[in-house]
Amino acid sequence: MRKNMATTKSASKRKLEKVEQNGKSNGLVTLNDQEESDEGDYLQTISDNDTTDDEGDQSGTEESDGEGNVIEDNETDDGEDDGSEEAEDESEDQSEDESEEGEEDASEGGEEDETESDDSKESDLEWESEASEDEVIKPLKIDKKLKSKAQSHSLDARESNKTSSKEKTIDISSSKNIESQGSEVQETSKDEYESGDTSDEEDIRNTVGNIPMNWYDEYPHLGYDWEGKPIMKPKTGDTLDFFLKRMEDPNFFRTVKDPQTGQDVVLSDRDVELIKRLQSGKIPDAAFDDTAPWIEYFTSDVMKTPLRKFPEHKRSFLPSKSEAAKVSKYVHALKMGWMKTRKELAEEAKKKREKNFYMLWGADDNSVEEMRRIENHLPAPKRHLPGHAESYNPPAEYLLDREELRQWKKCQETPWKRKIHFVPQKYKSLREVPSYPRYIRERFLRCLDLYMCPRALKMKLMIEPEDLVPKLPSPRDLQPFPTSMSMIYQGHTDMVRCITVDPKGQFMISGSDDLSIKVWEVSTGRCMRTINVGGVVRSVAWCPNQALSLVAVAADRKLLLINPGVGDSLVIAKTDILLKEEPEDSSAIPERVKAAVQWEQAKNEEWAAGIRIIINHFKEIRQVTWHGRGDYFATVMPEGIHRSVVIHQLSKRRSQVPFSRSKGLVQCVLFHPVQPMLFVATQRNIRIYDLLKQEMVKKLSTLSRWVSSMSIHPGGDNLLVGTYDRKMMWFDLDLSTKPYQTLRLHGTAVRCVAYHKRYPLFASGSDDRSVIVSHGMVYNDLLKNPLIVPLKRLQYHEPNNDFGVFDVIFHPTQPWVFSAGSDKTIRLYS
Amino acid sequence: MASAPESGTAQIQIRFTTKQEQYAVPDLPFAVPAGINSNELNVLLNELLREGRSDIKASVDFDFLVRGEFLRQPLNELLEERNVSFEDVIDVEYVEQHPTPEPMDCLMHDDWVSAVQVRHGWILTGCYDNTLHIWSKTGTHHLTIPGHSGPVKAVAWVSLTSTVGSFVSVSHDQTAMLWKWNIEDNSVDCIHVCRGHERSLECVSVNNNSTLMATGGWDTLLKIWTTSMWDTSSTTSQSSGDLEETEIKRAKLDSSSKSHIKTPIMTLKGHKEAISSVVWTDNQELATSSWDHTLRLWDAELGGIKSEIAGNKSFFDMSHSSLNRTVITASADRHIRLYDLRSTEGSLVKSTFTSHSQWVQSVMWSKTDEHLFISGAHDSQVLLWDSRSPKAPLFNLEGHEDKVMCVDWSNSRYMVSGGADKTVRIFKSRHAPSKTGSEEVKEEL
Repeated sequence: MRKNMATTKSASKRKLEKVEQNGKSNGLVTLNDQEESDEGDYLQTISDNDTTDDEGDQSGTEESDGEGNVIEDNETDDGEDDGSEEAEDESEDQSEDESEEGEEDASEGGEEDETESDDSKESDLEWESEASEDEVIKPLKIDKKLKSKAQSHSLDARESNKTSSKEKTIDISSSKNIESQGSEVQETSKDEYESGDTSDEEDIRNTVGNIPMNWYDEYPHLGYDWEGKPIMKPKTGDTLDFFLKRMEDPNFFRTVKDPQTGQDVVLSDRDVELIKRLQSGKIPDAAFDDTAPWIEYFTSDVMKTPLRKFPEHKRSFLPSKSEAAKVSKYVHALKMGWMKTRKELAEEAKKKREKNFYMLWGADDNSVEEMRRIENHLPAPKRHLPGHAESYNPPAEYLLDREELRQWKKCQETPWKRKIHFVPQKYKSLREVPSYPRYIRERFLRCLDLYMCPRALKMKLMIEPEDLVPKLPSPRDLQPFPTSMSMIYQGHTDMVRCITVDPKGQFMISGSDDLSIKVWEVSTGRCMRTINVGGVVRSVAWCPNQALSLVAVAADRKLLLINPGVGDSLVIAKTDILLKEEPEDSSAIPERVKAAVQWEQAKNEEWAAGIRIIINHFKEIRQVTWHGRGDYFATVMPEGIHRSVVIHQLSKRRSQVPFSRSKGLVQCVLFHPVQPMLFVATQRNIRIYDLLKQEMVKKLSTLSRWVSSMSIHPGGDNLLVGTYDRKMMWFDLDLSTKPYQTLRLHGTAVRCVAYHKRYPLFASGSDDRSVIVSHGMVYNDLLKNPLIVPLKRLQYHEPNNDFGVFDVIFHPTQPWVFSAGSDKTIRLYS
Repeated sequence: MASAPESGTAQIQIRFTTKQEQYAVPDLPFAVPAGINSNELNVLLNELLREGRSDIKASVDFDFLVRGEFLRQPLNELLEERNVSFEDVIDVEYVEQHPTPEPMDCLMHDDWVSAVQVRHGWILTGCYDNTLHIWSKTGTHHLTIPGHSGPVKAVAWVSLTSTVGSFVSVSHDQTAMLWKWNIEDNSVDCIHVCRGHERSLECVSVNNNSTLMATGGWDTLLKIWTTSMWDTSSTTSQSSGDLEETEIKRAKLDSSSKSHIKTPIMTLKGHKEAISSVVWTDNQELATSSWDHTLRLWDAELGGIKSEIAGNKSFFDMSHSSLNRTVITASADRHIRLYDLRSTEGSLVKSTFTSHSQWVQSVMWSKTDEHLFISGAHDSQVLLWDSRSPKAPLFNLEGHEDKVMCVDWSNSRYMVSGGADKTVRIFKSRHAPSKTGSEEVKEEL
């Protein structure tokens, strides 16, 4: 049943709307607004009645009253266009006025009601419905006329009412309707429409306002009249009265009780008719033609082209920049907390409203929360809770006796040894306890402790020094290299200053302070020959030309070219033949050179000793070095100032002084192994000269005080420089004029450095008696920098007057290194 | 067994085996403490022998072989090293200990002795003072032979009869000299001067039937010569195409000298650095060791390289044993390495013998025992090794006071070594009774 009702209800509503539309457009308004809305509401009333049947009318009406009142206000609001308060006030005034009018109407209506009710006294319900039709139509016609008048001023309000009345809860409207129908249906046709909107007048007899009606349950009256006198509730009879009424009153079936006024209302015939129609599921308005032809105000077809002629502006497709900026601004503000959402604001307000309680015992927990952020936080040590001894009135056993007191006092110097840090004392009452004299101080100290003691573990950055050192390959992987001493060449009677190995590696020649050179067999340590040269030998150099058996020996001011007489006998003989006669030299020797250097053929005894040519220099020769081809050799005289470097040519027996001015104290010179270049090391710098172009190519700055020696990599692109200030520098000539790497391996001055011809090895000898062998790999790949790995410290030489190793040289073919030491020996490491 | 001290709770089961039948014991397993050492085993074995045999009275010293290695440490350590399970019965082979070599004589020279070789009773030595010396086994000096102009680096007997002997010596003067020694009137003649090498010679070796000799030196060439005393012209004509112009020139240059000049019949190129030693492995096969870290096997007939073994150090000396066909080498470190020239797969170094503290300069296999060899090193030690005992030598032949430069064991009776202390030391090698063969007696004359 209920379901059916619902469906019919919605259907009727729809139809109603249609009717309204029809009415508006056609002007065929048969029903006034009041009725339209009423009709809608009837439906609801009835349906509601259905629901509330079980509970009883009374309670249902009571509930509805409250709500009805609430919405009453809304209705007035809606009635006026604006929601502003002034407007509201006005509307209230208006409604008051109207209510006055309505009251008058109501009184009139009451009269008419009586008349009508008289008419239909005897009729049954069914009969009544038929009979009343005529009667209903009459006033409607009048209504029409009235309506047209009233429309002018109530049109706006009506329209809004339409919607609002539908929204109304059922009970309210029911109450309204009942009253309007029951008592005033007839008079409304006269007066009510004159006064204006009828919906406002419905509650005119409600003298109590928007209060639940049950508040008046206990009272005999219901509201107050103008004079302030209580309006008495109409008398309600007992069951007998009710029965009699039922029996006697022909209108009993159409009498309902208005809960707001407590008065009985007799429904009019029209109302009854309406109810009947509704109950039977018909459209309440009898005059409504539900089969009227459909008028299409708006086409139901979807139009293919838009109504508007012009296309949407481009701008409407693009997001607005200014809006985006605003949005981003808001987002930012929200994020930063400058702007708050309503929700947040509400929360804040709520919080503000709430009472704030101070967490008396929450401090500790809070601090824990805070301290959790500090990593490795160490919580402050807690103090012990006071025990019995701390009591002002401790038990006797806690008091110190004499012995204990003595013990306690004995620990004056070492207070931390005391069991308790105070003397327990007994007072009769807490009141007698004197103030603790050290309270302030102890508090202060405690605070200091807490403040000063850092309560987070300090994380030290643990970087092992080894981690900073670049990863070097293990020396084990870089074999072969010399690891142990294999041979000692003994025989010299003074410091051995220099050594040189023959190109084959079978023999080795050493020069010593005992004014001699010795020829050694490498593999056995046998001294094959000793040649007295009559001067301290500072440098020896085997001629790299294998077609010659020749060694250049720098002995004091003489440079001796000696045939050591070892090796290929044919070469030895040939060398002798070659050097026997002087080549005829036509060209004149410049005076400058002549003063510095004179060539001299060896005399008989000297020849027998192996000396072939003597080149007398004007200063002490420090170093002699051969050019790779074995024809040119250079000598260095550090004291020679401008003529400190002399280049000799063996085949022509000529000498040249290549530099007109010296750039410093020349320490050593070196020929480039493949290019015509000469390296000249002064104390601080190394200059590279192109011998063909006769110009300086490069100047390497060693950043050290005193260069002692240098050696060039057989590839010719890397230079190793040893200095007296303990450093060794590796220059990559392609890379820069600054050292590629500086090695500080030695404790004292580095005397000599040497490269191996074949293996990626280099060695350095130092005054600390040690030879350090390092791996120095030069890659063919130009992008790869040389790899330098110190491998082995070989310290076998014995100390002798503060000198250590004077010279190191590698075996030409084997990974062996020789070192000449101040202990008169030469050592071989393999 | 009861006398053996408890060196651990673990017990190992061992079984004694031997190849010396006179010392055979019953083939029964014994439980011995795991930590037993060779001395304790020796006591145990002697007890066993005394029980079983009545003929053996004196106690005999034995050496014990476990898994092919002499027991020099407690047994369990050796087993752990070898990953041998303690559960198994372990075969312990025992051999009579090699008798201690006796020092016999010390031959004083004027200079460093760089070469020595013994044939029968005669000891030929070469010195750094360019001379050769012949000594009898009793230590009497028979001859001093000057002739070389450079230190003699190697000597070798070619033939020796009771009346005449011939030998070859090589020297730094780039020549090898072939000498004929008439024993009866104690005179020596230089029959041939072998010229052809361009630098100093290092080594010489005569093949087994004394028809060919090979020399090597710093010119990296290996040259093969005939040892015939007579015809030089024929050898010249025979000389192969490898003969270089210089050799011919030089031959002409020195033709004025009395002795005939011999030229090599074959020159073998291949080494990149000095050849330090050459050995005939059989009549037509040569093995050389070189400073270029390689060992090479040559075919003397065809004149080509047969195989090559690369080491990682320069080789100073090698010795080939005809008994076990393996090679021991001395190189520029303190190790002696055992190579098997025939094998090509796996580790080329079969074992390494380490006891010297300096460069080993010379090694020599025993001619009669396949396990024994001697070595001389710059630490002035001469050591007698058993190839089954790589960690420790059998004996240290003490005596030298300076670098040992050469050792020789050509005559299995005498172990001879020469060194930089200008002496040649002779040790008499007493062999285990089982080993004394009849051939040796014959050879000894």
